[in-house]
Amino acid sequence: MILETKQISKRFGSIVAADRIDLSVGEATSYGILGPNGSGKTTTLGIVLSVIKPDQGWVKWFGKEPAPSSLKQIGSLLEVPNFFPYLSLARNLEVIGRIKEVDLSEIDRVLDETGLLDRKKSRFDTLSSGMKQRLALAAALLGNPKVLVLDEPANGLDPEGIAEVRNLIIDQREKGKTIIMASHILDEVEKVCTHAGILKKGQMIASGEVSELLKMDDVIIIGANDILTLKKIVEASGLVKNITLSGNHLEVVLARGQDVSSINRLAYEKGVILTELRVRKSTLEEQFLELVK
Amino acid sequence: MKRLLRIEWAKISSYNLFRVILILNTTLFLLVLFVFSRIDISIPGFSWRNIYRFPGIWSSFAWVASWFNVLLAILVMVVTGNEFASKTFRHQVISGMSRNEWLAGKGILITGIALFAVVLVIVAALIYGFIFTNDLTLPVFFENTGILIVYSLQAIGYMILALLFIVVLRSNALSIILYLLYFIFIEPVIRVMCPPEVRIWFPVKIISHLTPVPEFFQLASQSENINPDTLTFEGIGLMARQLPQSTNLIMAVAYIILFGFLTWLVVQKRDL
Repeated sequence: MILETKQISKRFGSIVAADRIDLSVGEATSYGILGPNGSGKTTTLGIVLSVIKPDQGWVKWFGKEPAPSSLKQIGSLLEVPNFFPYLSLARNLEVIGRIKEVDLSEIDRVLDETGLLDRKKSRFDTLSSGMKQRLALAAALLGNPKVLVLDEPANGLDPEGIAEVRNLIIDQREKGKTIIMASHILDEVEKVCTHAGILKKGQMIASGEVSELLKMDDVIIIGANDILTLKKIVEASGLVKNITLSGNHLEVVLARGQDVSSINRLAYEKGVILTELRVRKSTLEEQFLELVK
Repeated sequence: MKRLLRIEWAKISSYNLFRVILILNTTLFLLVLFVFSRIDISIPGFSWRNIYRFPGIWSSFAWVASWFNVLLAILVMVVTGNEFASKTFRHQVISGMSRNEWLAGKGILITGIALFAVVLVIVAALIYGFIFTNDLTLPVFFENTGILIVYSLQAIGYMILALLFIVVLRSNALSIILYLLYFIFIEPVIRVMCPPEVRIWFPVKIISHLTPVPEFFQLASQSENINPDTLTFEGIGLMARQLPQSTNLIMAVAYIILFGFLTWLVVQKRDL
């Protein structure tokens, strides 16, 4: 196991930022942490990266207590890019490179990989926010780490930059690296991650493989000759856990253990003629919104 | 150690404000020495120039240098405060630097600045000393050079207290203001309210007394008819009672260790 946390909790005054969070991230998986603002994503990553001390619980990296030596094997980006504003990009990366004890010739490689090589001698405070974000990614890639921990890696990037960063992360994943990524861009997590966990008010309310999370709540689109009657019937049946009237059709999420045929059977028994019945694969965004509602 | 030195150097070598404060410290120190060297008060039995001669030059120059220790303390607060303001301390920790290593880096920085300050005193003393001293012998040259070590301890004391202020407050402006207030106002007021036997034990009193005001009358006196022991500031009632220098030195070291320990404690305990 690359990362394991058990019951980690953190309070800031009366605010519970992390509430008994368990995480298990295996080798070469990509794990997305989803949650609305203030749900505890950054606090959770701060705890696993040893900058926030948990009130309770423990963290293990590579099966051991966290230590500077384990953090050197991890490339991290936490919240916003944090660099010395008055230093050049190369100098800033030199500081990180010396901490990680990597060959300083790596600096040019990671700057090239993130498209910043021509700005190598520029001061950090002259960069655009997108470039700063890319520099943070360059710092994370120094030393070719086994694991990348990325907190909102697409922050401040334009659409082209987002696509570039996504491709960079996918490329790293394909190289066999483990990726742990917090994001509120659900599409990002869906495209990059194999596993995800959803945080709400500091609690992990759902977690698992992304494909499982998506499978859990497919949306059924139903059209009928008498849509309002059908809505009443379906609501009363207990077959669904969520129903929405959208124009002239219903969007329903089936209760656990139910399938589409039970809706068809119910309509037939109640004498309602269906004009449409199809399954729309739910997006992670719909799952997310449903869960954090 | 070498790695930490390189990391600290990478952080400060291109930092303009760091250079500006060091240059300001050097310029002010040399300016004061130059201005005083132009004064030539010479009355029978007394010569002002004696404070520019070996061996008294070591203590008089260390004392002048000590006026600017606050600048060195501000330098430490600015450099360290930047790491909190731009959250680079946090970035260094998540990159694999332990909090102890970070603190050791600050120790190296403080030692380096203190070394710079001492070298400045030595260079200035050598230049002025050779210009103004006649009949120089090796024993006279080396007499009283121990004050250089004491001065470096004093500079470290000022800077380590500054480090404590900045790691607790994490704000450059607030730390600098409170640090200056503590030196100029808070501790002196508290001292005044305490009985005389207590007030000599306060940290600023102890640390600033490491390089006491040179006994100018003793240094300047050329008369053989005057007993030098009667020419101390304390002896002629111009200065309040002080701790003996050896006790003062032990107490200063104890305060430096205490401030260092408190800084370590804060750095270990707090979230970044």
